[in-house]
Amino acid sequence: MHILFDQADLRYGERIALHPLSLELTDRRIGVIGLNGSGKTSFARLVNGLAKPSHGRVTLDGLDTVTDEKAVMAATGFIFQNPGNQIILPIIRDDIALGPKSRGLKGEALDQAVDTVLTRFGIADLASRRPHELSGGQLQLAALAAVVVTEPKLILFDEPTNQLDLKNRALVKAAIDSLSEQAIVISHDLDLVRDFGRVLVFHEGRLAFDGAGEVAIARYLEIAAC
Amino acid sequence: MLNSLHVEGRTLLHRLPAGPKLALLAAVSLALFFVQSLPILALSLAVTGLLYGSLGLSAGEALKRIRPVLITILLFALVNLVLISATEALTTTLRLLSVLLLAASVTATTTIAAFMDVLTKLFLPLERLGLLKAADISLAVGLVLRFVPEIAARYEGLKEAHRARGLPVRLSRILGPLIISTLKDADSIAQAIDARGIRGQ
Amino acid sequence: MTTRDLVLAALFTAIIIVLGLIPPVSLGFIPVPITAQSMGVMLAGTIIGARRGALAYGLLVLLVAIGLPVLSGGRGGLGVLMGPTAGYIFGWVIGAFVVGLLAERFVREGQPAVRQMAGFFLASLIGGIVVVYAIGMPVVSLIAGTPFSKVVMGSLAFLPGDVLKAAIATLAARAVMVGYPLLPQKA
Repeated sequence: MHILFDQADLRYGERIALHPLSLELTDRRIGVIGLNGSGKTSFARLVNGLAKPSHGRVTLDGLDTVTDEKAVMAATGFIFQNPGNQIILPIIRDDIALGPKSRGLKGEALDQAVDTVLTRFGIADLASRRPHELSGGQLQLAALAAVVVTEPKLILFDEPTNQLDLKNRALVKAAIDSLSEQAIVISHDLDLVRDFGRVLVFHEGRLAFDGAGEVAIARYLEIAAC
Repeated sequence: MLNSLHVEGRTLLHRLPAGPKLALLAAVSLALFFVQSLPILALSLAVTGLLYGSLGLSAGEALKRIRPVLITILLFALVNLVLISATEALTTTLRLLSVLLLAASVTATTTIAAFMDVLTKLFLPLERLGLLKAADISLAVGLVLRFVPEIAARYEGLKEAHRARGLPVRLSRILGPLIISTLKDADSIAQAIDARGIRGQ
Repeated sequence: MTTRDLVLAALFTAIIIVLGLIPPVSLGFIPVPITAQSMGVMLAGTIIGARRGALAYGLLVLLVAIGLPVLSGGRGGLGVLMGPTAGYIFGWVIGAFVVGLLAERFVREGQPAVRQMAGFFLASLIGGIVVVYAIGMPVVSLIAGTPFSKVVMGSLAFLPGDVLKAAIATLAARAVMVGYPLLPQKA
């Protein structure tokens, strides 16, 4: 999607979470890095309309996140850091079916859609399992499947490997790399975005650097050392 | 944990759709409430007893399921024997036992999915009035069943943490942290639901 | 109703069910062992307020109705909802609502601790005991045929335990108020 920030900022009363930002993004892979409180999560929440800009506007393919909220939500998917809280039904399969079902899909078409994403992320054998029996990585894959099944054009990841061990982290990284959809990945896990063509570095509520993965990471390490 | 009380089977009651079955239960229970005749109530107990006994439950399981209410009913029977006439006490007890057995039979022969379908239909008029969304009910039921095992694990974790610090495990001390840590997840769960557009758009 | 309200109520129902899985504790000075679950009415009202608290209990009754053994001691199914003590179970829904209504009016953030505790305790006593008994006792008398006055006398045996539950619920409600306030506030 064509993501456009036009002098968009985010304030909570006196506190400025993100200073006015103008930016155009069309890349297939976009990384977002920065210290805690640097504005990177505010940025991501502005993109899919979970947060509304205090001034200015944010559009996706011309859709305004304020006036076309529903269309924006439907076109985007969001993966949160805590995979456990994204699975909301007792059986994985039912949970993945929930999104397409509320969009009117049923019967064989619904089963097929669910089967397709289960296979795509290699978790077909987990379909009838209960969430508390799965590892963090498996849960994150199930959460990703539940988002992808609704066919979003853009998927946002908010620190998706934050609570995972090395093995599960590799699992999630491979899944993100395999996505054909456009993705914005916010991460403290620098390896996740290292080979991305475009990585944004946020610092104290402002965009501090915008460039290719390796260079952006080098810049971020400088900032963090100060 | 939390297995349904439904039991597989092909009996008449199993095959009867949930809606009519629940209507039947309500009608019979209400009718029995006005029956004062001992022979009729004795007959109804025999019929419901046979019905409950024919569902394919083992004797132990069949008893286990109704035991808590059974004990309550028998307790009241004893109290009533002292307080009111023996005939009245017997009438009430036979009636309560019949209702218990019939209700337990309906519960054992109806799946959760069948119950949910009936409930969703029952809630439709409320939905038309804009009071609630019928689909929210099944979402909420799903959420409860999803998070019971997590919260149970969290309770065990808190208990262990208390023991590790040499503190006595007291409910009054664990309740606060258990509730706070659980309800703190509400925001991210709600966000995930909204971001996935599950409550209709 | 916001998604957050729905989730808070559902999570509270799950908490109430988990409290029912904890074995009853004997306190020594009270003859009847105390189940943690029956404190739920007071907890729900004082912690998440009237509307969400009643919703949490409505959900619990619904789960009982569809045949899940979610009440303490593994009780569940329609038999429980049609037995002599059914009135108490339906009374919980109203009770949680009243506890919440009173707590929303009695307690606000920034009040001295003693004042908050007194508010929570009073709300728990009225909604969690008076209201629940006011609905439960007549139903017992109606269904079991036991004379009302005798039901009232019999119920007195449970009163000390219930007052103690109100005290424990007050402590928990105050702990949550300090750690993560959720109670809606009304003038």
